[in-house]
Amino acid sequence: MNMHPRRHTRSAKGRAISTRAAAIRRCRFALALIAALIALPGCRSGAPPPQFPPGAMVLKLAAISDVPTLDPAAGYDVDSWMFEQMIFDTLIRYSDAGVDLVPDLATAWESSPDSTVFTFHLRRDARFTNGRIVTSADFKYAIERVLDPATRSKGMEYYRAIAGAEDFAAHRAKSVAGIETPDAWTMVFHLIVPDPIFLQKLAMPFAAAVPREAVEKWGDDFSRHVVGSGPFMLKEWIGGQRIVLVKNPGYFVKGSPHLDAVVEAIGVSEDLQWFKFEAGEIDVSNIPPAVFPYVMKTPRLRDLTLRIVTVTTRYMGMNCQMPPFTDERVRRALNYAVNKPKLIAVLNGRGIVANGVMPPGLPGYAPGLSGYPYDPARARELLEQAGLGHGFAATLWMPADQTMMILGQSIQQDLDLVGVRLRLKAVAFAPFLEAVRQPRTVPLFFMGWEADFPDPANFLDVLLSRHQWGANNDTFFSDPRVDALLAEAAPLSDLARRYALYREAERIIVADAPWVFLYYPITYEIQQPWVHGYVLNPMRPARLEKVWLSPHPAS
Amino acid sequence: MKFRPNAMEAVGALMVLSLVLVAILAPWLAPYDPTRAVANTFGDPAAPSRMYPLGTDQLGRDVLSRIIFGARISLTVGVAAMAVTMTIGVTIGLTAGFFGGALDFALMRFTDVMLTLPALLLAMAFVAVLQPSILSILLVIGLVSWTQIARVVRAEALSMTQRDFVVAACALGAPSARLIVRHVMPNVMPIIVVMAVLGTSGTLLLDAGLSFLTLGVPPPTPSWGRMIEEATTYFRVAPWLAIFPGLAIFYAVLGFNLLGYGFLRRRARAASAL
Repeated sequence: MNMHPRRHTRSAKGRAISTRAAAIRRCRFALALIAALIALPGCRSGAPPPQFPPGAMVLKLAAISDVPTLDPAAGYDVDSWMFEQMIFDTLIRYSDAGVDLVPDLATAWESSPDSTVFTFHLRRDARFTNGRIVTSADFKYAIERVLDPATRSKGMEYYRAIAGAEDFAAHRAKSVAGIETPDAWTMVFHLIVPDPIFLQKLAMPFAAAVPREAVEKWGDDFSRHVVGSGPFMLKEWIGGQRIVLVKNPGYFVKGSPHLDAVVEAIGVSEDLQWFKFEAGEIDVSNIPPAVFPYVMKTPRLRDLTLRIVTVTTRYMGMNCQMPPFTDERVRRALNYAVNKPKLIAVLNGRGIVANGVMPPGLPGYAPGLSGYPYDPARARELLEQAGLGHGFAATLWMPADQTMMILGQSIQQDLDLVGVRLRLKAVAFAPFLEAVRQPRTVPLFFMGWEADFPDPANFLDVLLSRHQWGANNDTFFSDPRVDALLAEAAPLSDLARRYALYREAERIIVADAPWVFLYYPITYEIQQPWVHGYVLNPMRPARLEKVWLSPHPAS
Repeated sequence: MKFRPNAMEAVGALMVLSLVLVAILAPWLAPYDPTRAVANTFGDPAAPSRMYPLGTDQLGRDVLSRIIFGARISLTVGVAAMAVTMTIGVTIGLTAGFFGGALDFALMRFTDVMLTLPALLLAMAFVAVLQPSILSILLVIGLVSWTQIARVVRAEALSMTQRDFVVAACALGAPSARLIVRHVMPNVMPIIVVMAVLGTSGTLLLDAGLSFLTLGVPPPTPSWGRMIEEATTYFRVAPWLAIFPGLAIFYAVLGFNLLGYGFLRRRARAASAL
């Protein structure tokens, strides 16, 4: 998914923040103070917070805005996914700290060599919290629900390759013929085209088992009355105030989860979250940019931080249809002209210099790429060759955000040294995404891409192939050699060969340079010393079933 | 009569004069280029030192040089915006005060409506539509801050029209234009000057506020408001990044205010001496 400048982690909601003007964010501090005053004990309004017996292990979190949804068919953002993966189970999921697949409700699975048939064997002891055993029919129902146009699920596209999916979606069939449930514990998927990353698609929360009786009972209100089989269950969700999850005593993994409850306070600004963290009122928090340097310079706090290189690439796109960026020499010149190690320093080390499209942590990542070192002399030479020795002016579009503006100024300084005069144009996130999609509109832009699933196709195909023009290929880059390689690699399940083809495509892309390859971001969170077992995942929200708390002052 | 400045006027004038000099002589006074990195302090702003008396920021730029060059933008925008403000305010005020009647009523109710709108919000809306540039910003500031001046000028003009010399000129058949330009205007001039000087501190602040909200003059042009905005990230580890441009704004606003109140006091004295 397109990445908002502030990675939409648990509390920094991508959508919510993105629609606000940067100006409003500047007033955050004042608002935080006002909010702090209003929240003083005694003047608190609304329902009383839930009481837990003394000694209960309750993880306390805070977020800016409400969770968009808890319905797995609807959620397609990090905040919804965080809670959905606590409440529901998929057949397979990602490991706690990595992007490798591990069993969830399936105990074993097989795939045919040509990646068109996938068979799963389910565990027999998993129950929904309404008491009913989870069977293969529940998974089939969940996927059919996503495929049903009436559900309007954004996950639809991922399951269209299942045989009979199109017929079902067009109401020509009562069920999806390509999903077989020979018995309650076996599931077979038949695909019409080979899809080596089908397993990854089944690991998305869209494919989580949901009980038909509850979905049909509540209809559109299912999101507020979710019933799942996961480690936690929904206890209370007061819109705009808090969401409370409690331990599912019937969870199939014995002794899990450790926590008795998770309470997330909603409507807590990023700065107020920080004050609450410092006061010991919340257990895990994001680190707002405004305190990051302070945290890193304070050993007591620095030791509490968690760090993860996300499966994300940040780049400056150059529109290959707009002169002078139609000229490959100009695009390469800009790559040499931008001082990337300086950007990393300006980010206080929250990034790794990017040498290519694929970030480390993505299976298929090519560690050998040399990219473009900082070499202004070489940049001037290339501009000279392109007939632009006297330089030129261009406009860099970016989402309105303080960090982006600082990075923009850093690049502005660098390009000034090779005669390129940069104008910086900050735009709110939603119109920004709209603008870059228009042909011949945005010459230069900051962009980021965070993996939806761990495969090179999710970067190379989505961002740089001809058929994504006007969708996600915002540079309007096209190279027949690249398109041919991508088409050849897509159906291959032989990983060595698959990755080799993708790396070849990436090598050509790096040489053609439709992007200035900037950096792979590093995300930081901070936890209280009494939090244990909290592990960040490079691609998904952290899972909480292994988290436990030692006795602490606030408990 | 010999001109003897009072203390407020003297101090204010000196402060404003020093600012003007700094702005004019910026290229010679500033030790470094304000837009280039001069020190390797990327992401780690450096404290004041002998080489960089006010430190360097997270992009390696010299804070002192940026403050010195920032004076140019602040003064240019502040004074030019005041000129726009004055043009609008004086025109409306004089017209309303001199002609009175329905015109006066219409213009003043319009002014009242404008007064109810918060200037900063209105300015933000205008800038968002117009795209930030020096010209758009000084126009916008002018457009949102003329109301007070219009009211004061109207009141003065109104009282002038009752004075004998104006009535006399009118009786002699002088046309309105001549009455306004030759008789009313010169007599409201002192209050206009006072309002202009006092108002400049307001336009300076508004400019700084817009810059702080990233709606000011776009980078790389250094501006005080944006310097403070960019410093918020480092406020807990490098507070000087925000403090020095803050002091610069304080100095400029104080200078114009002292000068303006000095003038005001002189007027009050002159009035009580009559």
